[in-house]
Amino acid sequence: MTSTEAARKQGRLAGKTAIIVGASDERSMGFATARRFLAEGANVVIAARRKEATQALADRLGAVAVACDITSEEDLAALAQAALDRFGRLDAAINYAGIEVQSPILDVTADELRRSSDVHFVGATLFIKHMARAMAQGGSIVTASSLTVLAQAPGHSAYAGAKGGADVVVRVAANELGEKGIRVNSIAPGFTRSAMTEAYFGMEAVRRAFLKEMPLGRFPTVEDIAEVALWLASDEAFVTGQRIDVTAGQALRRVPLASEYA
Amino acid sequence: MSGAAMTGGGAAGRLAGKTALVVGAAGVGNMGQVIARRFAAEGARVAVAGRNKEVLQALADELGGVALDCDFTRRDSIEAMVQGAADALGGLDIAVNATGWGLLKPFLETTDEELDRMYALQLRGPFQFVQALIPVMERRGGGSIIQISSATATIMFHDHAAYMATKAGTDHMIRTVANEFGHLGIRANSISPGVTETPMTAEAQAVPGLMEAFKKGYPLGRYGTSADIAAGCVFLASDECFMTGENLQVNGGLTLRGNPGKADIEASVAAAMAAGTGQ
Repeated sequence: MTSTEAARKQGRLAGKTAIIVGASDERSMGFATARRFLAEGANVVIAARRKEATQALADRLGAVAVACDITSEEDLAALAQAALDRFGRLDAAINYAGIEVQSPILDVTADELRRSSDVHFVGATLFIKHMARAMAQGGSIVTASSLTVLAQAPGHSAYAGAKGGADVVVRVAANELGEKGIRVNSIAPGFTRSAMTEAYFGMEAVRRAFLKEMPLGRFPTVEDIAEVALWLASDEAFVTGQRIDVTAGQALRRVPLASEYA
Repeated sequence: MSGAAMTGGGAAGRLAGKTALVVGAAGVGNMGQVIARRFAAEGARVAVAGRNKEVLQALADELGGVALDCDFTRRDSIEAMVQGAADALGGLDIAVNATGWGLLKPFLETTDEELDRMYALQLRGPFQFVQALIPVMERRGGGSIIQISSATATIMFHDHAAYMATKAGTDHMIRTVANEFGHLGIRANSISPGVTETPMTAEAQAVPGLMEAFKKGYPLGRYGTSADIAAGCVFLASDECFMTGENLQVNGGLTLRGNPGKADIEASVAAAMAAGTGQ
């Protein structure tokens, strides 16, 4: 028996189908999560706005690719339907769709607030709605929060404001959807090296300033985040309405001030 | 067949090669016992500790592990237990404190003796336990410390103040451990169950209508089991978990709704009694 066959029979997600949004780059949390889920025996549908990049990654992984703009209800409904059409069920749905928006509060624009809100708040909420509608046998929904909702990072009003709003929705949704056997949680990654943060990791002063605030002495990786998503997606987490922080312990300390690495 | 072979999760088990100490495993079928069995099933070698050597020895024999006497109110006993477990297993990777004293007593009637005992069992003991663990885990190059807390460290319940206050204090102690010893590779987290089917709550479970009153507080429609808590422990104990200083609410969403008040419980019990006697 190959390891894939073994996983499909005995893996921690054997028999489950998962949708993972935000997987158009091999350095993304979405890609790492898809790979982890497949290794544990799940059927996986990956989605992102960029169809070609997503398709290429899906081909490498042995997953199904669907183009999806998280701000579009039509796309989200079609994404859920695609999983049902292909695999007959939906058990887990993970949303990592995110954009970078940074602006000091004195300069932040309505456009920036709306762009962040569209993806991180409206998109995350509609994601929960459409995934839950497709989960006939119950399931687990996860959306990405951020360390910035609990520790202040300069310039993050639009980003953290919308993410924090989504965390509130997670609790509301968990309360409403529990009776359907659907669990809803968020994962708040700390400063994690990914496609989105690559530019910051290129700056030695930034790396050093952040590492100093991490009790565990190293940065969280996309694989660390995938591991928590796996636990939440499995039948082993009697957990709902929670934000799970994966920050190397930085949630206990602080986000460095810009003046400490400028 | 070894424990690991029974998990179905693959040949190795998620804790294969690990050593674990579970304190609070001296009650037949209690949470500590369920955690110890699950750890063994995932391939860990386990030491179990508590106050009833006979019960512990039976569990240790079943799991091929080690049984250790411990009075959690005494530093020398705690230190001897940790050292004994480390010696017997060749070091410690995982340590779980599942001890607890579920005292229900009105706030104004809680005695000094009860407060002293609660403090000794639920704050001083856990503190000293971690003090004993740190050097042992440092020699090992790291480890995972798991404190079983309670949802009531966050949400309210009546007549439970001494228990709740010490559990909340221990959660914060765990955060300081995560902050100060992370650089040694030591992670420290707590898990907060809600009402759980255990011997500690057996009396409550036997009262008609009482558990129904609690159940409304659980969005997922059921209260917890020790198996739920053991699953959370496996997650926190494994090398794949990169979390520290966290308090995991493994209680089916109880913290979203909260526990019933005293009057709600009394009404639920009265209704069940009336229905039961046909009145």
